[in-house]
Amino acid sequence: MKRRTFLQLGGMTAAGALLAGCQAENEKLIPFLIPPDEGVTPGRAVYYASACRACPAGCGILVRVAEGRAKKIEGNPLHPVNRGKLCARGQALVQELYHPDRIRQPLKRSGPRGTGTFTPITWDEGLSLLAGRLKALQRDRESDRLALLTPPLQGAMAELAAGFLRAFGSPQHGTFELLAPDWLRTAQRQCFGAATLPWYDVAETRYLLSFGADFVEAHLSPVHYGHAFGRMRQHRDTVRGHFTYVGGRMSLTGASADRWLPARPGSEGTLALGLARLLLDAEWHDAAALAAHGLQRDEMLRHLAGYDLDRVAEETGLPAAAIAEVAREFASTRPSLAMVGEAVAFQSNGPEAVRAILLLNLLAGNLDRPGGVYPAGGGPGPEQTFSELFPLIAKMRDGGIKVALIQGNPVHAIPPATGFQAALAGVPFIVSCATLLDDTALEADLILPDHAALESWGEVIPQAGGRAGVVGLMQPVVTPVCDSRPFPDLLLATAQELGGKVAAAMPYPSYLELLKAVTRRRLDPAGGSDFAPVWANLLRQGGDFPPLGDSVPDYRWRSDAAFPAPARARFAGAEQEFPLHLQVYPASAFYDGRGAPFPWLQQLPDPMTTVVWDSWVEINPATAAGLGIGHGDLVEVTSPQGALRLPAVLYPGIRPDLVAIPLGQGQRGGGRYAQGRGGNPLTLLAATVAGVAPQPAWHATRVRLTRVSAQGELVTAGHPQGSYRSDLLGI
Amino acid sequence: MKKKWLIVGTVVAAGVVGAGLGLFYSLPLDLRDRSPRQPLAFSHKLHAGANGIHCLFCHRAAPLSPLAGLPTLADCLDCHRFIAPEAPEIKKLQAFWDRREAIPWVRVYSLPDHVYFSHQMHLHAGVACNACHDDVAGMERVTRSASLKMGWCLDCHRRQRATIDCWTCHI
Repeated sequence: MKRRTFLQLGGMTAAGALLAGCQAENEKLIPFLIPPDEGVTPGRAVYYASACRACPAGCGILVRVAEGRAKKIEGNPLHPVNRGKLCARGQALVQELYHPDRIRQPLKRSGPRGTGTFTPITWDEGLSLLAGRLKALQRDRESDRLALLTPPLQGAMAELAAGFLRAFGSPQHGTFELLAPDWLRTAQRQCFGAATLPWYDVAETRYLLSFGADFVEAHLSPVHYGHAFGRMRQHRDTVRGHFTYVGGRMSLTGASADRWLPARPGSEGTLALGLARLLLDAEWHDAAALAAHGLQRDEMLRHLAGYDLDRVAEETGLPAAAIAEVAREFASTRPSLAMVGEAVAFQSNGPEAVRAILLLNLLAGNLDRPGGVYPAGGGPGPEQTFSELFPLIAKMRDGGIKVALIQGNPVHAIPPATGFQAALAGVPFIVSCATLLDDTALEADLILPDHAALESWGEVIPQAGGRAGVVGLMQPVVTPVCDSRPFPDLLLATAQELGGKVAAAMPYPSYLELLKAVTRRRLDPAGGSDFAPVWANLLRQGGDFPPLGDSVPDYRWRSDAAFPAPARARFAGAEQEFPLHLQVYPASAFYDGRGAPFPWLQQLPDPMTTVVWDSWVEINPATAAGLGIGHGDLVEVTSPQGALRLPAVLYPGIRPDLVAIPLGQGQRGGGRYAQGRGGNPLTLLAATVAGVAPQPAWHATRVRLTRVSAQGELVTAGHPQGSYRSDLLGI
Repeated sequence: MKKKWLIVGTVVAAGVVGAGLGLFYSLPLDLRDRSPRQPLAFSHKLHAGANGIHCLFCHRAAPLSPLAGLPTLADCLDCHRFIAPEAPEIKKLQAFWDRREAIPWVRVYSLPDHVYFSHQMHLHAGVACNACHDDVAGMERVTRSASLKMGWCLDCHRRQRATIDCWTCHI
């Protein structure tokens, strides 16, 4: 062929290809094979009211469903907790439903534990495997060797689980959750007599003082309080509420404040009592409130003798003038409000510090009044889920547990220093009811996959965020995507397989029937009226939202309540060897890790550091300069418990003696998006602090930093690849 | 001399580019097939024309939804299990059903994503199907007669005194 001919042919081919590229393809129209269920019209969306269980706040959601697919989630405007608003974690629930790595059918382990080698089996096989193990326990009179591990349960689900365990004959039910507000219930019980959670009237307050309560991101009910905070700032014509934040790390909440008081970690209780003394000394306190609660000013001043301004300023590391000014503002701006959060509670002296802050509210006359604090923001709840974990772990370690039935992901969300992971490895038969192959499912011998939230029936009782007894209802919005079964129905099916008195104790054909029965009993104890229209209406509006009744409980200081006396904070790790304090906090996208499997949340830049698809350690620039660490360097964080390598973020909004790591990443499993990404700071934490009773003290560990290299591979939203990690998403 | 050629050359080049752009503008850029071959030789002429089946009998979502909808495979077979089951095209239909596979019909009328169009609203306003879809009842294979360009929409909206606010369609 001549060179000229070759070029001509080549040119023609290129032109042909170019023209063919211009030719737009006609799209395809794919009809249904058989007519869909009634109510499905192609092109028309249907909205289902349901409830979100992505965190314990329990917001109401509306799900848009078109052609039988869940497309979009927004807040339910009728729900009193979130009033139509919704956070990113709630929006991402659709990604739980359609996650490409969902467990599609029951699996049986076929390789060594933890390697993730499983064989698909049928539900009949799976159920008979589980029932076989349980029958063996019954036969050997070892019924108490079954342990159930779940998140804290409420309502019908709690009744079901308790009924199952009672009928089977096992008392082992672990309901530990890392960020559960047990500490606040305990403090409320010790001070006021009832183990409930408070409800803060943030919207109407004029002076908000938050002691480490990150209510915009995670504390109690973030959507509720985030919305209330917006109203506090903007909805009144002449008043813009003032906000002071106390805490060593400037969180997103802290960044929204007018004043940031970076108190030394563990000194917040001292600060609260110092403020209390300033109030009482200057007689700025609410004398009527003091009298009503049966407290005397002189006696309190005697307790507060050691909390003079100089000592408080020295211990907290804050300027005395700033403390005095906050005391004056807090007392003179009524109504004012003090909140207390995890940054304080998870110190070794947390329980007493929390009580000191409750007392501060009493002194300023903030209890039971608009713009203040009300009791019973949620019903009574558990208080000791952490200390109850230790006997269970000990039992597992000593071979006292033969079957562990697990919902949730405790292997990732319990600090390994408690010995949980090691003890679980010794349990002969582990059953996981996960939707994804998460860290716990990887350790399991049998996986019986759970429905996603959008496929399940259920009850979501918000833990806080309202004063009246709100009950949200979850309803399935789509037909199940996988061959999964809801966890409560699994318990019922297992009871049927077991037969005998276990089956007799659980006569419900399905969890839905139990849910209806429980709801009916609550709404209509006499049982006279027709329940069907009531139920239909509950499903339509997304739950039961009763108005605030007349018989509202009031706060009353217990006459036998001890005066709060926070001891000096103790820490695990010697100060010489481990000079820095460590704070772990729920990442706004992941909470305690359950958001990490969803790419929308991985892609969501952290609001303070803009980091995406990773975890990091926040270091004050001055500290970093002293250690020769630059932004984005890889550093090793070492604690008495272990070490973790993370990229460094130089963050001016943190005390020089404090470093912070977000929770949620560092999962071994959890699907393709979470797997092996970042590090889990829980591996660094000490389980208990010497000289302190077992309590969740997640901020009482000291660490040291070492620079490893300049290759931290930190990816931020401003970074060229950070804004769009298409390689990770596969699009 | 050279300068003259340069000027003439520039003018000619500019003219060629201008003409090219003009041609580009006037040519139909929509190169999609107006009468695509369908996976099954379904005849609207036979169904809607000769047999007089109403459009909404099959496209039943049209008065309810933005989309007109297509009959499900089960709908087709409801009749064709009995009517002409031995015809070659019906055998193809039956084969799709046996494989539990949807028929990948080729779309004839489509609008870009930035246009909101609702069959429901047009039907409620009393617009007849053939105002846009022409005489489908007379076509063996459906052929698109309308350009579906914005001017074509606006012409009708003006004639009918319907709103021509931007947000009506571009929401």
